[in-house]
Amino acid sequence: MPPRMTDSNRSLLTLRGLDAATLTALLDRTESLLPVAQGIERMSKTDAGAMVGLLFLENSTRTRCSFETALHRLGHHPVSLTGQGSSVGKGESLTDTAANIAAMGVRALVVRTSYSGGADLVARVTGVPTINAGDGRHEHPTQGLLDASTLLAHLGSLRGKRILIVGDILNSRVARSNIHALATLGATVVLVGPPSLVPWVFAEFGPTIEISHDLDAVLESADAVMMLRIQLERDAGKSVSSDYRMAFGMTSSRASRLPEGVPVLHPGPINRGVELDDEVAADLARCLVLEQVSRGVAARMAILERALVLNARIK
Amino acid sequence: MTHRSKSMLLTGGRVLDPRSGFDATADVLIRDGRIAGIETGPGRIDAGDAERVDVGGLLVCPGLIDPHVHLREPGQGAKETIETGTRAAVSGGFTTLCCMPNTNPTLDTPDMVDWVTMKAKEAASCRVLVAAAATLGRKGEALAPMHAMHIAGAAAFTDDGDGIADADLMRKVLQICASLGTAFMQHCQEPTLTRGAQMHEGVMSARLGLVGWPRVAEELMLERDLRLDRSIGARYHAQHLSSGGSVEILKAARDAGVPATGEVSPHHLLLTDAACEGFDTNAKMNPPLREESDRRALLQGVADGIITVLATDHAPHSVAEKSRPFEEAPLGVIGVETALPLYAEALVKSGAVDWPRLIAMMSIEPARLLDLENEGLGSLTVGGPGDVTVIDPELEWTINADSFESKARNCPFDGRKVRGRAVLTMVAGFARCNRLSEISI
Repeated sequence: MPPRMTDSNRSLLTLRGLDAATLTALLDRTESLLPVAQGIERMSKTDAGAMVGLLFLENSTRTRCSFETALHRLGHHPVSLTGQGSSVGKGESLTDTAANIAAMGVRALVVRTSYSGGADLVARVTGVPTINAGDGRHEHPTQGLLDASTLLAHLGSLRGKRILIVGDILNSRVARSNIHALATLGATVVLVGPPSLVPWVFAEFGPTIEISHDLDAVLESADAVMMLRIQLERDAGKSVSSDYRMAFGMTSSRASRLPEGVPVLHPGPINRGVELDDEVAADLARCLVLEQVSRGVAARMAILERALVLNARIK
Repeated sequence: MTHRSKSMLLTGGRVLDPRSGFDATADVLIRDGRIAGIETGPGRIDAGDAERVDVGGLLVCPGLIDPHVHLREPGQGAKETIETGTRAAVSGGFTTLCCMPNTNPTLDTPDMVDWVTMKAKEAASCRVLVAAAATLGRKGEALAPMHAMHIAGAAAFTDDGDGIADADLMRKVLQICASLGTAFMQHCQEPTLTRGAQMHEGVMSARLGLVGWPRVAEELMLERDLRLDRSIGARYHAQHLSSGGSVEILKAARDAGVPATGEVSPHHLLLTDAACEGFDTNAKMNPPLREESDRRALLQGVADGIITVLATDHAPHSVAEKSRPFEEAPLGVIGVETALPLYAEALVKSGAVDWPRLIAMMSIEPARLLDLENEGLGSLTVGGPGDVTVIDPELEWTINADSFESKARNCPFDGRKVRGRAVLTMVAGFARCNRLSEISI
């Protein structure tokens, strides 16, 4: 394997192993970029005009739009490539495609792929700062960052807080990134779902990770609840029975049992009536889905700045 | 190998014959392709005009036998060929290989067995035996012509790469193997438990987001097979064991009198699933690297004599294939050029076994498995074939994949400092690899 050329301080491949100081710095920057992300303020011009490759080789709506928006707000230019209508998506062409886009002189790459470890591979092969926008079942670090940012805004601090993550943990890259980020910020993370999707082995991720196969038993202890999408495209269908909503869905009646002020998050897209009832999704005081999307732009701006600014100084 | 070989007298080495238990300083004369004398007495052998080679301080052993390699021909010559794979083998001290049938096309007809045998006569640096497929196309659906392939010279039967999942078909295969007296070698993997599996099911697979291959998939098929074989009595061989639980299952069957044997590979004795960190495709193999508890149980299984055969599962793949994303990269690692020092590290240095036992598990034990004992392979016997491997157990060297004779580079031990190496490999009296000039005796 070729040596890793990418400066690890510029790539963001995983939240696992990211120290609390770096994470906090990114979250602080996310918070301060929020007015720019929402178009209320403008960026004071620094080092705009970079080309950034967006390689979305797996379906994505909000993440790709979010990165494009973030780049525009920063004054940079996306070069977009999607999996549809091309032969990409096959393993061999992931690296070939990335190498070709990199050769066009982009200063960073944003990669969404169905392969676990795919973003890591792109970073290794191209030597270009690479941002993981979701790789298979592995991680989705920008989602983890925006979720942490949303939770911090509502809970103040995460230290000692109990955050429930409910659903298909086994197949979820969102869950993995969140587990690492939330635990690093001092929260207790309770992973909830059927045993087929929440194996005991996840408890070994850290001392503040708990496992529950009974949502009702832990619901009222929560300071926040993050519902995950049942990922039917990743074989979760076989592990889920028709009583999923009854056992693990955030139904209206469960939502009513949550203490006042306990927010419900969901990374989207929602399977309405499966993991989240319509009434819960519509309760904007409790359900933070849209705030997550708003903060997503700011979080991605912070991550892109980190990937690009240092790079500019070197050149 | 029709022309006459030179005569050679190996003097003063520590001669190990695992069949007789012989372990003493002696001279060994190889003449006309056969072992012409082994003497311990003063003056030892009058060798006439034979080339005299001082091998004091070295181990003189039967040529090593690897019962589990993939030579990739026919059909996958970009990965390896019989020529390059056997050159790699003699470099590692092996004089006999048994190649697996998962080629393209599959080795599932007598013609295919003949083809490999002919090709080996032309191109191979060592002896090549064929493990033929037990089912057509290794699909696990219909019996291959096992009787005809047996007559064509198949040394064993296996669907390696896959286990035979159908219990009824498995029973029939075992019945035929019992009637032929030939070993059946199973790749133990219950397929319904390993759909999409990429690595061992554990914390590491959970971290990396890769689909796990649970231990029980191996244990379940092993247990089923040994239960079937209790009433059949075929010689059953469990390939490349990876799970600690499999050792217990194998032990119970052996204790109950089932003629079962088991094999391990160097990587399962030295590495764990931690090697998959960073999505390193050179740590992707089948069965997968497991956990420290498995590694220790396998070592103990070898030490206790439950696992008796050492193999490599040499599985060459091109650099391009192994450069794919982890989930797309093919399974397997190469092993024939590095197995000896790695086994020495795992088993001798750790105190699990001594050198004579290690050599036995790499010579007479696989010879018995492949029914080669009567030909004199796997032992050092006067009148027997001149297959001899001389080993310097203290030679220190660094594994460098770029210097391999194999076409492939998929070695998880690249860069590792190791101790022990074959310094002379003789096949039927011909020196096929000779590093004696590189060492100072």
